[in-house]
Amino acid sequence: MEFDWSQEDIQHRRDVQAFLKEELPDNWEEMSQHGPGGDSQAQFSRHFCSRMAEQGWLTQHWPSDYGGRDCEPWRHSIVGEEMWSVGEPRGSQYMNVNWIGPAIMNYGSEQQKALHLPKISTGQVLWCQGFSEPEAGSDLVALRTRAEKIGNQYVINGSKIWTSYCNHADFIFLLVRTDPSSSRHRGISVLLVPMDTEGIEVREIPSVVGERYFHEVFFTDVTVPTDVLLGEANNGWNVVNYALQFERIGAARYARAAVTLDKLAELARERGMLEDPIVVDRLGEARALCEAARVLVYKVIDIRAKGRSPTADTQLARVLSTTCDNAIGRLALEIFGQESREYASFADTNFRMAMTAGIAVGATEVQLNLIASRFLELPKE
Amino acid sequence: MNFELNEDQQAITESVDRLLAQHAGATRTIELNGHGMYDDALHQLLDESGFSTIASDLASEDGPAGLEAALIVEAVARAGGVVACAAQMLVAPAVQEAAITGPITLCTLDDLQKPVPLRFGAHAKTLLVLGIRDVHVIPLTHGDLKPVRSSFGYPMGRLAEADRFADLNAAGNCLGPNAALAMVNWWRLSLAVEAVGTMDAALTHTVAYLKQRRQFGRSIGSFQAIQHRLSLCAIGVEASRWLVREAAYHGAQTEAVAAAAAFTLETADQVFTETHQMSGAIGFTCEFDLHVWSMRLLALRQELGGVGGARRALVEARWGNKPS
Repeated sequence: MEFDWSQEDIQHRRDVQAFLKEELPDNWEEMSQHGPGGDSQAQFSRHFCSRMAEQGWLTQHWPSDYGGRDCEPWRHSIVGEEMWSVGEPRGSQYMNVNWIGPAIMNYGSEQQKALHLPKISTGQVLWCQGFSEPEAGSDLVALRTRAEKIGNQYVINGSKIWTSYCNHADFIFLLVRTDPSSSRHRGISVLLVPMDTEGIEVREIPSVVGERYFHEVFFTDVTVPTDVLLGEANNGWNVVNYALQFERIGAARYARAAVTLDKLAELARERGMLEDPIVVDRLGEARALCEAARVLVYKVIDIRAKGRSPTADTQLARVLSTTCDNAIGRLALEIFGQESREYASFADTNFRMAMTAGIAVGATEVQLNLIASRFLELPKE
Repeated sequence: MNFELNEDQQAITESVDRLLAQHAGATRTIELNGHGMYDDALHQLLDESGFSTIASDLASEDGPAGLEAALIVEAVARAGGVVACAAQMLVAPAVQEAAITGPITLCTLDDLQKPVPLRFGAHAKTLLVLGIRDVHVIPLTHGDLKPVRSSFGYPMGRLAEADRFADLNAAGNCLGPNAALAMVNWWRLSLAVEAVGTMDAALTHTVAYLKQRRQFGRSIGSFQAIQHRLSLCAIGVEASRWLVREAAYHGAQTEAVAAAAAFTLETADQVFTETHQMSGAIGFTCEFDLHVWSMRLLALRQELGGVGGARRALVEARWGNKPS
């Protein structure tokens, strides 16, 4: 057991920080206030990720056969921490490099690999994930969107909801039901569908989270060739489980929360609020929470770095990471008080970016269910 | 980074677990606590097996082997051992190089002046007093501290005469500011280490009970309302475990220790509350082992300013502002 970063990792972090300082525009704070799905950030991500790819950092944890550098997951985690600390300039492309690319590597045909992986590893493509549906939220296996195979084509009908990033996406990682007689996790498939296919309509769902955050995606007789099928037909549930096995901790929320907290503490000090023992207590509590989330995420990365199968540690880390993000988002409102009422102010932005943490990529309650069954081995009803 | 025990650490933990399986455990703790006794036999076994001095014996140029010692203290706490091993294995080696005679009891100047009941006080042979910028190492003679009855899971002792050590410099050796900084950090960390082992045991005991206890025609542990709260406790215990181990590995630096203690001691309250609430009335009885660990959690939260003290220390270390 040892908890040191290697000298190479320490230097890599410094290099990434210097790169960010160089590459982020002067108006980055304003640009990033709508989150990774915002218009300006989405546009910028194409340029930024290309620059990252030029450095060899975008997919450095991928195998060299697919444009990577065979680096350990620790190296990629450093990039993730630094990116989230400044508001994720990779935009939605963090998903590409974290799990969409690896899923294509594992399940994709040679044609699919040749089409998609170079685009991802050079930072030239935006993806979104089409999972949730109006009647399939946390209970994802209740999904109904159908893809009917007719000859050598799939005809897709249905809708997805709560979809982020889809207004700018080039492709959607789409979960559909391909066996109409099936139920639950059987009969589901993954299709890699171009978003400019006729019959796809995107509608924004206005929300208090921010602009362009939630969308509905409607599929009306969307016709695609069968070669967009990822993996075997009706095996989509396994594909998704593989893809998301580590993605629960893919967003380094604790890192962003820790940076937000540092700014809050600095502001509290400037305003003499560190004389208030209640403020001191809340800041101390929040900092400890950030550290607790970080160390649990590191434990999962260690499992991944050793090439082991994922364990319930992922769920433990996920819950604490989102708890931390939420707690610091709310603390920002308390510290800034009425100033946070203004849209896009520092506290408002951080609060809005954090407020969906316990819902996105699987609700906290679902994670707690999994901890109960897999980690504590508690009996089912 | 490597979260797995190396071969040496594996051998140490297996060895101490074997010893504890034979010479410690809830039944023995209950028996000793019932008579306000210290486990001299276990203390001696830990000494003879070389565990008590492991931090010094495996010390490197970076300092004592805190992680290895912490793993042992965590295991002893899990077994409910009635020995002052945290002070002996984690605090003493950091305070001074020369061995300090155990059992050791720890206090602040304020604790001494009140005076408050100290863990293992009546059985201690050395008193370590944390001053503002110094540490006093005071040899104790029989009767300096008298036993105090306590509900909180450890044998307690309090200074027999309030002015017994009025002149601390005359009472023992005085060590300088470095020793004081080392003592506050390792003491705070040792509280968190003990809390991790203790929480682990309390939660394990409760989970096992809730799996077999049936009400409303089903196992209590199958109710989602219970499962979610147990899961939250498990998250707290696991995060505490790794925060504490990481801080011990890095030689108990102030900020890491304060973060580990702030999180762990807060979790200790959660684990106490939830394990008792879920265990029901049986959880309060002496025949049910939960109290062996649960009551100790509350005692551990009381030293060195507890959670609030750790949070203040964390804010000061992180953002450099000494709160008023």
